[in-house]
Amino acid sequence: MKKFRRGAVVVLLAVGLIISALPAAAEENGCSQAVRVIEKQQGKASRDMRKIQREIAALRADLDKPGLSEVLGGLGYIFGLFGVAAYVASRRKD
Amino acid sequence: MHISDGVLPTAVSVGGYLISGLLVAWSVRRTRGDDLPKIAVVSAAFFVASLIHVPFGPTSVHLLIPGLVGALLGPSAFLAIGLGLVLQCLLFQFGGLTAIGANLLMMGLPALLAGWVFYHFKGRKRRQRILVGALCGGGATALSAVLLALLLVSGGEDFWGVAKLALAAHVPVVLIEAAVSAMIVSFLIKVKPEMLDTPFAFKKPT
Repeated sequence: MKKFRRGAVVVLLAVGLIISALPAAAEENGCSQAVRVIEKQQGKASRDMRKIQREIAALRADLDKPGLSEVLGGLGYIFGLFGVAAYVASRRKD
Repeated sequence: MHISDGVLPTAVSVGGYLISGLLVAWSVRRTRGDDLPKIAVVSAAFFVASLIHVPFGPTSVHLLIPGLVGALLGPSAFLAIGLGLVLQCLLFQFGGLTAIGANLLMMGLPALLAGWVFYHFKGRKRRQRILVGALCGGGATALSAVLLALLLVSGGEDFWGVAKLALAAHVPVVLIEAAVSAMIVSFLIKVKPEMLDTPFAFKKPT
C-alpha cells in the first residue's frame, strides 16, 4: 500500500511537471511559427521592392529618350526657320 | 558622340563657339536662296538620324550622318549641322549647351571635308559615285571620332587612350554609315541625280 502511494505521488509529480512544461513548449512553438511567418512576409516584401525599383529604373531610362512630341517639334523648328529664310531670300531677289 | 557640359575647359568651349560661329557665318554666305528647301530637308534628316538606333551586339549605336550631309549640301552643311545640333541639344538633351561650339566643330568639319572630297572625286560613273559616297560617310564619322578625342584631350585626357577608345566604339557606326551613305547615293542617282551635284565653291555664289 505504501509502495503504491509512493508510486502514485511520483506519477502525479511527473504529470504535474509535464503539464507545467507544456505551455512553455507551446509558447516556444508559437514564437518560432510567428518568426517564420514574418520572415516569409519580409522576403516577399523585399522581392516586391526590388521589382518596383527595377521598374523605376526602366521608367527613368524611358524618360531620357526623346518622345514623338520632341521629334515633331524639332522638325517643325527646322522647316519653319528655313521657310522664313527662304521667304526673306525670295523677297531680297525681287 | 556628344560632349556634355563641364567636360571641356572654358577656353576650349569659348574657342569652339568662336570658330564654329565664324564657320556658320561663312556657311550662310555660301548658301543660295534656291537651295534652302534642300538644306531644310537634309537638316531634318540629320536631326532625326540620331534617333535611329542600330542594335549592334550588346550595345546599340545611332547614326550621325555628317558625311552624307556634307556630300549633299557642300558648304551649307555646316549651317545644317549647326541647326540640327542646337535643336538636338535643346529638345533631346544630347550634349551640353556650353559644348555646342565644340560639338559643332566635331561634326561640321568632317562634313565640310566630306563635301569637298565628294565634289572633287565623285566623277561621272555610278559605281564611283557610290564608292566615294560610302568613303565620305565612313571617313567623316571616323574623323569625328578623332576630333572628339582631340577635344577631350584638352579636358586633361590622354590622347592615344581616348582616340583608341573612341575609334573602337565607332567602328560599327563607321561601317553602318558607309553602307547607309552608299545606299542613299545610289538611290539618289536613280531618283534625283541633280541633288548630288552640289558645288563646293569657296567663292561667293551669284
